[in-house]
Amino acid sequence: MLEELTAVFPILSCILFLPVAGAVVLWLFDDEDMVRSSTLTIALVELALTLFVLLRFVPESAAMQFAERVQWIPALGISYHLAVDGISVLFVGLTAFLTVLVVVYSWDTIRHQVKLYMMCLLALETTTMGVFLSLDLILFFVFWELMLIPSYFLIKLWGAGADRHYAALKFVIYTLLGSVFMLVGIALLDINYHQWASLHHSDHAYSFDLLELLTVPIPISQQIIIFWLMFLGFAFKAPVFPFHTWLPDALLEGPIGMAVVLAGLKLGTFGFIRFSIPLLPDASKSDTIVTVVVGLGLCAILYGAWMALVQADFRRLLAYSSVSHLGFVVVGLFALNYQGLQGSLLTMINLGFSTAGLFFIAGFLYSRQQTTELSAFGGMAKQVPLLATFFLIIGLASIGLPGTNGFVGEFLILVGAFKAKWWVGSVAVLGVIFGAAYFLWYYERSMLGPLGNSVKSTMSDLQLREMVIAASLSIMILWIGLYPSPFLKIMNGSVQALVDRLHHETTAALDNDLTERR
Amino acid sequence: MNFVLNLSFSDLLLLLPEIFLTCWLCVVITVDFVSPQMPKERLAYLSVGGLLATLGCLAWFDVNQVSGTLFGNMFVLDRMAIFFKIFILGSTILVILASIEYVDRFTLFRGEYYALVVMSALGMMFMASANDLLSVFVSLEFSTLGFYILVSYLRDDLASNEAGLKFFILGVFAAGLFAYGISLVYGETGKLVFSDMASAPATPGLIIGFLLIFAALGFKIGAVPFHSWIPDTYHGAPTPVTAFLSIAPKGAALAILLRIFIVALGTFKPIWIYLLVAVSIVSMTYGNIVAIAQRNIKRLLAYSGIAQIGNVLIGLAAGTKMGNDAILFYLLAYLFANIGAFAVVIAVSQAIGRDEIEDYRGLGRRSPFLAFSMLLFLLSLAGVPPLAGFIGKLYIFIAAIKEGLYTLITVGLINIVISMYYYLIVVKQMYINEPVDPSPISISGSMKAVIYVGLAGTLVIGIYPQPFTEWVVAATLMFANFMTPAATVSPASLLVGS
Repeated sequence: MLEELTAVFPILSCILFLPVAGAVVLWLFDDEDMVRSSTLTIALVELALTLFVLLRFVPESAAMQFAERVQWIPALGISYHLAVDGISVLFVGLTAFLTVLVVVYSWDTIRHQVKLYMMCLLALETTTMGVFLSLDLILFFVFWELMLIPSYFLIKLWGAGADRHYAALKFVIYTLLGSVFMLVGIALLDINYHQWASLHHSDHAYSFDLLELLTVPIPISQQIIIFWLMFLGFAFKAPVFPFHTWLPDALLEGPIGMAVVLAGLKLGTFGFIRFSIPLLPDASKSDTIVTVVVGLGLCAILYGAWMALVQADFRRLLAYSSVSHLGFVVVGLFALNYQGLQGSLLTMINLGFSTAGLFFIAGFLYSRQQTTELSAFGGMAKQVPLLATFFLIIGLASIGLPGTNGFVGEFLILVGAFKAKWWVGSVAVLGVIFGAAYFLWYYERSMLGPLGNSVKSTMSDLQLREMVIAASLSIMILWIGLYPSPFLKIMNGSVQALVDRLHHETTAALDNDLTERR
Repeated sequence: MNFVLNLSFSDLLLLLPEIFLTCWLCVVITVDFVSPQMPKERLAYLSVGGLLATLGCLAWFDVNQVSGTLFGNMFVLDRMAIFFKIFILGSTILVILASIEYVDRFTLFRGEYYALVVMSALGMMFMASANDLLSVFVSLEFSTLGFYILVSYLRDDLASNEAGLKFFILGVFAAGLFAYGISLVYGETGKLVFSDMASAPATPGLIIGFLLIFAALGFKIGAVPFHSWIPDTYHGAPTPVTAFLSIAPKGAALAILLRIFIVALGTFKPIWIYLLVAVSIVSMTYGNIVAIAQRNIKRLLAYSGIAQIGNVLIGLAAGTKMGNDAILFYLLAYLFANIGAFAVVIAVSQAIGRDEIEDYRGLGRRSPFLAFSMLLFLLSLAGVPPLAGFIGKLYIFIAAIKEGLYTLITVGLINIVISMYYYLIVVKQMYINEPVDPSPISISGSMKAVIYVGLAGTLVIGIYPQPFTEWVVAATLMFANFMTPAATVSPASLLVGS
């Protein structure tokens, strides 16, 4: 079993429940400015707490840190188990960071039902944190499902598009469809644990605890079934091609804040690296699964990029570019080597800065022209030089220019892919070229060239709040791009442990042992 | 069969809750008769008092593990019976509290309403303890008799009359099937007590007999294809009666189904599992798909109830100790969510006078409390964590997966997604649409109490389910001890986690 460092003070519980507790407190306020400033305070305190965790986190270690564990439903083996390791700790920080930016962004862009909006946002933060922090699969599932409720309301009540009702429902139904299959997979893991434990007279009859499930061998046939069940859950959420159809709708119709969270936090692919790959190493290695999943990843890269090329609406373009980027992440994950996994993990974090950043840019554009259609722009760089500059920085990060964070992640993924299979790497490289094409094309037509017909000469450049958002994102992008080692150090230990587990023969050996006993 | 009665005083103790409630019922009728000028509200509290006292007595039984059989095994008091009696009494109390305001709509016999509700509850308590086919039949008809009247209590309302007539005709038809089934089973085996039948060979007559009995009980719980009375009856009946009908009789009938399938037919599990799987799949799918098209909230809840019963039958199909635990747990979760949802429906219809889903427009603005409660109840029914319904569904699914019922589970899970769709339709009306008439809705104290109990149950069972899981595990453990060795499928599958 993995080493576990127990927390002296339940800081992860604080991180988990602070936003939702804050949401309850917001209920008491009536004044809108009061609501805004207290939400910002809560989000900043949350960010401070996660920074504390990041600073005290022991890098280069595979241990689960700041662990908290309490029995929840002993009859079913469900526990309240929180911890962070190199895989999840950066996501926790990213969630807190993005929430602060979303609150800042929403300050004057959300004008009706401000209190409810902020409450939904904070509830969403808690559930997202829960997904990243939970080590018990049912606890994880609880947050995974709960996330739908604030998201549903956010898309439906504050979405600007005419089809937001359809988009919200589609989002909920699609995600739910995937997650019910995942629940079966989780239950099968539990049953397998139960059978193994009763053979070996273990105390715990049932368990959903990741660390305990990791100690139990799973027959390869079972692993494959469970893998596909969980794959559906994660693939719908990620979304992996061809389960992505809800994403463009949700991103286009929902408010910018929701789009930032949906596109910035890669929960689905996090699920792969947190649960699928470590729990089901033999299935993840098997040829069929690697071929199919990597095949889907490659399809996603090309399809997403191709679709992004022809979009006239910037948010739709971003949605498809998200699909394309997720293809990269999936390809990197299922290269199943050190570089691939590390690159995927870093890319997931990077997308939290670059894709989310581009959505903020889309928001800035939207608040100036009330649309993100290409026809409304043209030659804007002269009018709004600052916006154009930040647009370029964040956009170049998204296409992976050297010196930005995107390069480090994509480069590692490509190295991993080439190491695994040369043709996978070669196809994936095409995605990078397409990526550059669709972004630069859109940028050129919207920002450069002659002034568009509908662009007003009175258009204002970035305001202070917008500057804060764009600048802090750019700082992070350049930091990871130029000096990624602190981030890589945090991941290294856990990624190494995962690679060891993948290429270790013990699970298979124990598997035979189990079959003999039966 | 030995019909000699050897009753001692201590034996009668087992019947104490029923005897007490019978006496209390007489008191309620007498008080109503003697002082006709008294506000009927007091009768409600009088009935609740008696029910609470009975509940206390049962709780005392449960803690002290009182158990035994009476009348030559016709009547059994084990922890499962106690569980179901508490379940029935709990729902009765909540229903009476929720109907206090509604009773003003009745033109006549307002006092008798409470007596009839208590009488039905009494019948269902006997059902929970019925241990042979005759006592099942008698107690079933006894409790249904009260319901026949209650359903058509709105004398001037055509829908209520139609509901009553439909319920009566189909109910009597089911009773006929049941009686015929009993005669076949008795003819084949010469036995009436469940545990005596366990070793009987599967002759065609016996199989037909049990199928008829299953059909009659399927009618009670409203499983497809015996569900046809449910939508119209639920729609037409006075809403508190609908609430009552949607919970208590289902619980009582499930107690009987558990006894029949596990005790009497335990050895035939490989055969009846197909029947249950089929009925469960059809109930879930039909209930959920038809619910999507409903415009009336009572009909929506009726169809959702049909689907919920399909879920419960998954646990029965598992046919293990864990499956039984899961059923009991699921029923608890269902009790709070369903009665809460109906309480909100009653409160809204008191204010608006209608119960179309359209009327819930902007409820979030008009009464944040009602809307938020309804949201939680519906999400619990849909099985969203961390509410009670989620743990209930999880429990049932784990029990079924352990038995390898993958098809059933897959259908069940897809149905969760479908059900989410129509629950969200109601949520959308409440929160997204603007109200037509923005005036706030006032709620009476007793109604608030019911909703608070529903909320508390839904949240507590969801967040801290441990005492409840322990309770249901203990309840079916005693039940397992009452099973004769021949009836047990295999000892290993009965004892959880050992």
